[in-house]
Amino acid sequence: MLNINYPKIEKKEFPNLQLNLVEPIIKLNLRGKSREFFTKIGKILSIMLPTEANSSATIKNISALWLSPDEWMVYGRDIDKNLKLSLDSEISKLNLGSVTDVSDQWVLINLKGKNVFEVLSKGSPFDFNKFKNTNNVVVQTLLNHIDVILHHNDTNNVNLFVRKSFSEHLWLWINDSSSFL
Amino acid sequence: MFIITCPFCGERDQSEFSAGGEAHIVRPKQPTELSDDEWADFLFMRKNIKGVQFERWNHAHGCRKWFNVIRDTSNDKIHAVYKMGEKPPTK
Repeated sequence: MLNINYPKIEKKEFPNLQLNLVEPIIKLNLRGKSREFFTKIGKILSIMLPTEANSSATIKNISALWLSPDEWMVYGRDIDKNLKLSLDSEISKLNLGSVTDVSDQWVLINLKGKNVFEVLSKGSPFDFNKFKNTNNVVVQTLLNHIDVILHHNDTNNVNLFVRKSFSEHLWLWINDSSSFL
Repeated sequence: MFIITCPFCGERDQSEFSAGGEAHIVRPKQPTELSDDEWADFLFMRKNIKGVQFERWNHAHGCRKWFNVIRDTSNDKIHAVYKMGEKPPTK
């Protein structure tokens, strides 16, 4: 049974860095290739899935992140039950692609402040030089040997997705690293 | 440690990838017609040469896609990267 009290993450502040848990929030994994799939997603979510690598699209409170050529993650506060039901009936049931609710699989942590990339660079092999100067970019990489998805949605504002079972460990690592800034 | 250019995501550190062994090994069309030796040859025997080698790699901690790499195993220099299903570059 899912432990809804896990992970225990509280808002924290460090010099030029704020860490915050952004939960609960709906996250959907979308997979598909056909033109019809793109059209249906566009109609239902009012958002065009980004086809450019490492990019994202945001409209109102819904963001679509490019994960691979045929895979996206959509998350946001405006995704409700009706929207999910329409995606299921218009895409999954018609075999145009797959829609999987991964809200409980991934935990969203927001990192904000001038020192965001200082902390991330401490434990990631990814070169953040270009990434930090561009908004609305996405990268899937490793942080402290843990798989993460990073969405740079605004200047010095990063949404970090981590698998739930790794989230508390990564949270403690981020806290520890931030305390040495 | 070296940098691999994923054909989908771009330049990434080697630690994000996993190696998948030699590339372009074709599965026999009629495995039942092969002798045990021929079948074992297909399953297990790999060149493992010192020099330029055709390999499969997977961007395990990124887009999770498979692709081919031409790599010099003696110095880790990557000569080319191309997608699955594509023919290797001639030069």
